[in-house]
Amino acid sequence: MNGFPLLTAIIFLPLLGGLVLLARPDRPGFCRMVSLGVTLGDLALVVLLVFLGMENAAGQWFRMEDYAWIPSVGIRYTLAADGVSLMLLLLTAFLGVLSVLVSWKQIREKVSSYYFFLLFTLTGILGVFLATDLFLFYFFWEIQIIPMFFLVGIWGHEQRSRTAMKFILFTMTGSLFMLIAIIGLYVIHGRQTGIYTFALPHLLETSLSIGTEGWLYAAFMLSFGVKIPMVPLHTWLPDTHTQAPTAGSVILAGLLLKTGVYGIFRFALPLFPLAFRAFAPVLMVLGLIALFYASWIALSQVDIKRLIAYSSIGHMGLVVLGLAVLNSITLSGSLLQMINHGVSTSALFILVGMLNERIDSRQFRDFGGLWKKMPVFSAFFLFFSMAALGLPGLNNFVGEILILIGTYRVHPVAAVFGFAGLLFGVVYVLRMIQDTIFGEFPGEETTLRDLEAREIIILGTLALSVLFLGLWPEPVLNLFQEPVNALISGIS
Amino acid sequence: MKAILFLLIIFPLAGATLNGLFGRRLPRKIVEIIACAALLCSLLMATAAIINMGGGTFNFVLFQWFQAGDLSVAMDIHYDALAAIMALMVTFVASIIHFYSVSFMRNDTDYVRYFCYLNLFVFSMLVIALADSLVFVYLGWEGVGFCSYALIGFWYGDPVKATAGKKAFIMTRMGDIGFGVAVAVLFAHFGTFSITHINPLAATLSTGSATLLTLLFLFAAVGKSAQLPLTTWLPDAMAGPTPVSALIHAATMVTAGVYLLMRLFPVVQQSPQGMLVIAGVGAVTAFYASLSALAQRDIKRVLAYSTISQVGYMILAVGVGDMVGGMFHLLSHAFFKALLFLCAGCVIQALADEHDIFKMGNLDRHLPGVFWLMLVGALCLSAFPTLGGYFSKDRILLSTFIQPGIAYKVCWALGMSAAFLTALYTFRMFFIAFLKRPDGKKASEMHQIPRFLVIILIPLAIVALCDGLLNLPFGVGKRWLGHFLFSVPGAVVDVRASTDLFLGMGILSASLSLSGIALAWFLYRRPQEAREKGWRAVLFSAFYLDTAYRYWIVQPYRWAATLLWRQIDEKHLDANIEGFGISFNAASLMMRVWSTGRLSTYLKAFLVGLAGLLCLLVGRVTLW
Amino acid sequence: MVPYGHVLILSTILFFMGAGCALARRNLIMILVGVEIMLNAAGIGFVGASLRWGELAGQGFVLFIMAVAASEVAVGLALIIFVRRHTGSMNADKYRLLKG
Repeated sequence: MNGFPLLTAIIFLPLLGGLVLLARPDRPGFCRMVSLGVTLGDLALVVLLVFLGMENAAGQWFRMEDYAWIPSVGIRYTLAADGVSLMLLLLTAFLGVLSVLVSWKQIREKVSSYYFFLLFTLTGILGVFLATDLFLFYFFWEIQIIPMFFLVGIWGHEQRSRTAMKFILFTMTGSLFMLIAIIGLYVIHGRQTGIYTFALPHLLETSLSIGTEGWLYAAFMLSFGVKIPMVPLHTWLPDTHTQAPTAGSVILAGLLLKTGVYGIFRFALPLFPLAFRAFAPVLMVLGLIALFYASWIALSQVDIKRLIAYSSIGHMGLVVLGLAVLNSITLSGSLLQMINHGVSTSALFILVGMLNERIDSRQFRDFGGLWKKMPVFSAFFLFFSMAALGLPGLNNFVGEILILIGTYRVHPVAAVFGFAGLLFGVVYVLRMIQDTIFGEFPGEETTLRDLEAREIIILGTLALSVLFLGLWPEPVLNLFQEPVNALISGIS
Repeated sequence: MKAILFLLIIFPLAGATLNGLFGRRLPRKIVEIIACAALLCSLLMATAAIINMGGGTFNFVLFQWFQAGDLSVAMDIHYDALAAIMALMVTFVASIIHFYSVSFMRNDTDYVRYFCYLNLFVFSMLVIALADSLVFVYLGWEGVGFCSYALIGFWYGDPVKATAGKKAFIMTRMGDIGFGVAVAVLFAHFGTFSITHINPLAATLSTGSATLLTLLFLFAAVGKSAQLPLTTWLPDAMAGPTPVSALIHAATMVTAGVYLLMRLFPVVQQSPQGMLVIAGVGAVTAFYASLSALAQRDIKRVLAYSTISQVGYMILAVGVGDMVGGMFHLLSHAFFKALLFLCAGCVIQALADEHDIFKMGNLDRHLPGVFWLMLVGALCLSAFPTLGGYFSKDRILLSTFIQPGIAYKVCWALGMSAAFLTALYTFRMFFIAFLKRPDGKKASEMHQIPRFLVIILIPLAIVALCDGLLNLPFGVGKRWLGHFLFSVPGAVVDVRASTDLFLGMGILSASLSLSGIALAWFLYRRPQEAREKGWRAVLFSAFYLDTAYRYWIVQPYRWAATLLWRQIDEKHLDANIEGFGISFNAASLMMRVWSTGRLSTYLKAFLVGLAGLLCLLVGRVTLW
Repeated sequence: MVPYGHVLILSTILFFMGAGCALARRNLIMILVGVEIMLNAAGIGFVGASLRWGELAGQGFVLFIMAVAASEVAVGLALIIFVRRHTGSMNADKYRLLKG
C-alpha cells in the first residue's frame, strides 16, 4: 500500500517548485520557466496516476498512502485516490499549467512571489482532493485559500484589497463551523468507541442521534455552501472574480468551486446520510433558485467578468440539484458537470483576460464588433460560449442532460424547472456574444492584435477538451461509476 | 449500406471542419469547391441509399455516446422510407442552394464563415432526419438552431440583423424545453431514447401520458417550425442572406418540427386530444399567417409568412393523421418555396438590395428569366390545379374534412380560407413586383446579375412543376409516395373518402385557387400606393404579436434582471453580509471606549476589577 | 485593647479615601499621594492584625511596606520630574499616547 509516495509527490511538487523560485526574485524569466516545468511535471505525474488507475480493477480506492502523523491525538496522514479524485487531480494539474501560461505576459511585478502563491494554491487544492483524514482535509482546505487571498489582494484590479478581505473572511467563517463539527464528530466517535481518530473510514461508523447529525451536517454544509457557492451565500464570488487576475479567476472558477462539491460528495454525504436525505428538498430548491436567479441577474451585468461569475453560480446550482436528487444517473451527471464547468468557464475567463490585455477595460460598453478585428479570438469566444450554453456535442450538454433526465424520474416538477432554467442561460450568453464579438466597435478605430501562438495553444487544448468531453465522455463516466455505486450502496 | 449512411452524414461535417480550420488560408475557389462537393457527395449517398433500400428499414449504431447508471445514449441511425425521402430532399435542395450561394455571395469577403456554417447546418439537419436516439436528434435539433442563429446574424455589423439571430435562437430554444421534458418523460416510461424501440411500445402509453408527450413535442415543433405562439422570429429572420432563408426557412429547419412529429407518429396517435390540438394549431396558424402576408411590403417577409402558413398545413396534416399528405406537402413546399426565395434573391441583388415590392415594377421586361421562374413558384404556392402544391394541399384538406367532429370542420374551414388567401397574397406580391408600372424600375437602375444565378434555378423549377407526379391520385404511378411510405408506422396510403367527396373537394380547391388569382389580378394589376392605415396596419404587424411579446415578456424580463441585481443581490443579500462585517467594526469601536490612554481610566478599571474579584471570593467562601 | 473591627474600619475608610484621591485627582503628585495613603491604610490593617493575633509578623510586614513605598515613590517622583521637564504639564490627562 505504501509504495512510492506518488500522491505526496503530486501534492507537494508545486510547493517545492514555488520555494525554489522564491530564491531568485530578480529573474522573472527563470521563475516562469520553473513554474511551467513544475506544473507540467505535476501533470505528467497525474497522467501516470490516471493510467495506473484505469488498469485498476479492485474496488473503489486504488491508491492509498497512510502514515502516522500525530498519533497521540489520532491524526494520520492519509491520502487516497479513487475515480472522482483522479479526474479532479487531472483537472487541477491541467488548469495549473494553463494558469502559468496565461500569466506569462500579464504579470510584471513581483513575479516570483506571484508564481510562488500560484503553485502554493495548487498544492492546497491537490491536497483537498486526496485527503481522507478529516484533520488533514481541513488543513489543506484552509491552506488552499490563503495564497488565493494574496493573489487577489496584490495582483488584482481596482478594489483588490477589500475584495480579498471579503473573500477570505467569508470562506473562513464557513470553514470555522466545519472545524467545530469535525472536532465534535471526533469527540463523539471517541466517546462511543474509545478510539479517538480523524480517519474517514472509522468516522463513517459513528452512530449519531438525529439531532446531532443535523447540526453537524448543517455545519459542514455551511462551509461547502459558501465554497460552491450556493445562494444566498454567493455574494463573494462576483466581486472576487471581477477583481482577481486572470489566473486567479481560472483557479477560483475551475478548481476552488469544485472543492465544495467534492467535499459534499466525499464527506458530508457519507457521514450524514439521514440528514442529507431529510434536507435534500431544501438543497434542490436552492439549486434551482441559484440556476434561475443567477442566470437572470447575469443578463443585466455591465462587467463581463461579473457576468461570467454569475453564470458560474447558475451552473453550480444545477450541479447541486443533481447531488440532492441522489441517484446514480444524476450523481454521475453532477460529477461530470463539475469537470465540464471547470474547463468551459476557465476558457471564458482566459478569453476575457486576453481581451483585457488588449483593451484595458472589462465593461461591455467598450467592446463590440470584435470579429472583424480579432477573428481567431472571436471564433474561440463563440465556441466556448456555445459550450456554456449547453450545445449538444460540446461538454456541458452531457452533464446537464444526465442531471435533468435523472431528476425527472424522481422529481418531475424539479426537472421541468431545470429545463426552463436552461433557457434563462441562453439569454445572457447570447447577450454576451452580441455585445462583444458582434455589432460595432465603439470608440476610435484601433488595431487589436489577434491571438499569438501561446494563447492559441492554451485555447486549443481547452477546445479539444471540450470536444472530447462532449463527444466521448465514456472514459470519464466509467471512472465515476465505482465511487458513485459505492456511495449509493453505502448510504442505503 | 452502413458506409453509405455514414458518408451521407459525414461529408457535410467534414466540409465544415475543413473550411473552418483551413479556409482562411485556402484560395476562395477551393473553399467553395469543398463546400459544394461535400453536398454533392451527400446527395449521391442519399440517392444510393434509396436505391439500395427501396423503402425498407435499416438501423445501426454509429458509436456509443455516453452512459451512466441505466441511462445509455448512442449515436445511432434509423433509416426508413420517411428518412430516405427527407434526406434526399434536404441534400438536393441544399446542393442547389450551395451553388446559388457561390454566385450570390460573390462580393462578400466573409465567405469562409458562410460556407462553414452552411455545411454544418446540413449536417445537423441530416442528423435530425436520420437519428434514432432522441438525444442524438436533439444534437441535430440544437445544431440547426445554432447554425440558424449564426447565419441569420451573418452580417453582424448591423445590430438589427444580429438581434434577429438572437431572437430566433431564444424562441426556438423555448420550444426545446418541451423537447427536453418530453425526452425525460419517455425515458421515465420506457427507459430508452430510441425511436425504433419507443414506437412499437407506444400502444402501452396511457392516454394521459400520450397527451402530455404529444403536447410537449408539439411545443418543440412549434418553436422550430414557427407556429403560433412562437411565430415572430421567422419574419425577422429574413435579415439573413437570401440563400439562407431559402434553405433554413423554407425547406429544412422549419420542417424539422413536422418531421419530428411524423417520426414519433405512433406516440402522437395514442392521444386523440393531442391530435386535435395539433390540428388546431396548424389550421389557426395557416389562417393567421396568410392574413398577415396580405399586408407585407418586404418581398421576403411575404414569403416568410407564407412559409409559416404552409407549415401550418403540414402540422394540420399530422393532426388529422395523414402522414403521407403532410410529407407530400413538405416536399412540394420545399421545392417551390426555395425557388421563390432564390428568385427573390435574384430580384434583390438586381435592384441593389431593394426589398420593398412597392418600389419594384417592370421586372417582366428587365428580368424575364426570373419572371417566369417566379411565376412557376407562385402558381405552385397558390395550388394552381395540376401542379404539385394543388394535389398536396387538396389531400390535406380532404383528410381534415373527413375527420369526425365539429372542431375538425372548423379546421377545414380555416384551411380553405387560407388556401384562398394564399393565392391572393402570392399574386399580390407577384403582380406588384413584376408587372409594368409607370413608376417602376427603369433599365438604368438595374444591376447586372450573373446568369448562373438564374440558370441554376431551372432544375428546381422543373422539379417544382412536376412534383405532383409523386402522389397523383389517379393514373400511372398512382400514389407512388404513399406506397413508398407504406412501411412507416402510422402512414395511410389512401384517404378514406367517397369519390364524390373527392371530386367535389378537388373542384372546390381549384376554384378557390383560381378565384384568388383572379381577385389579385383585379385588385393589383394597376399600380397603386401602399396604404398602411386601419386594418392593414393590424395585418402588417401580424396582429401585434411581436409587440405584445416585446412589451409583456422581453422588457419585463430585462427590467427584472436589473431589479434582481441592484435591489436584491446588492442591496439585500450583499448588504446584509457586509452589514454583518460592519457590525463587527462597530462593536470594535464600542470597545475602544475603554482604551482612553488616561491613567485614571486604567486605575479605575483596575480597582473595579479587584473589587469584583474580592466579592466573588467572599461569596464563594461564605455563601456557596 | 482596640477591637480589631475598629482598626479594619479605619483601614477601609483610609483606603477608600486614598483610592478616591488617586482616581479623582488629575495632578500627578496627588495621584502618588493617594497611592501612599492606600499603602498606609493597608499597613494599619496589618498592625491591627498583629495586635489581634499577637504575631510579630504583621508589624514586620508594615516595615516592608514602608520600605517598598518609599522606593516606589522615589521612582515615581523621578519620572514625574522627567515628564515635567519635557512636557511642562502635571496633568495626568495630557498624557494620551497610549490611546487606542
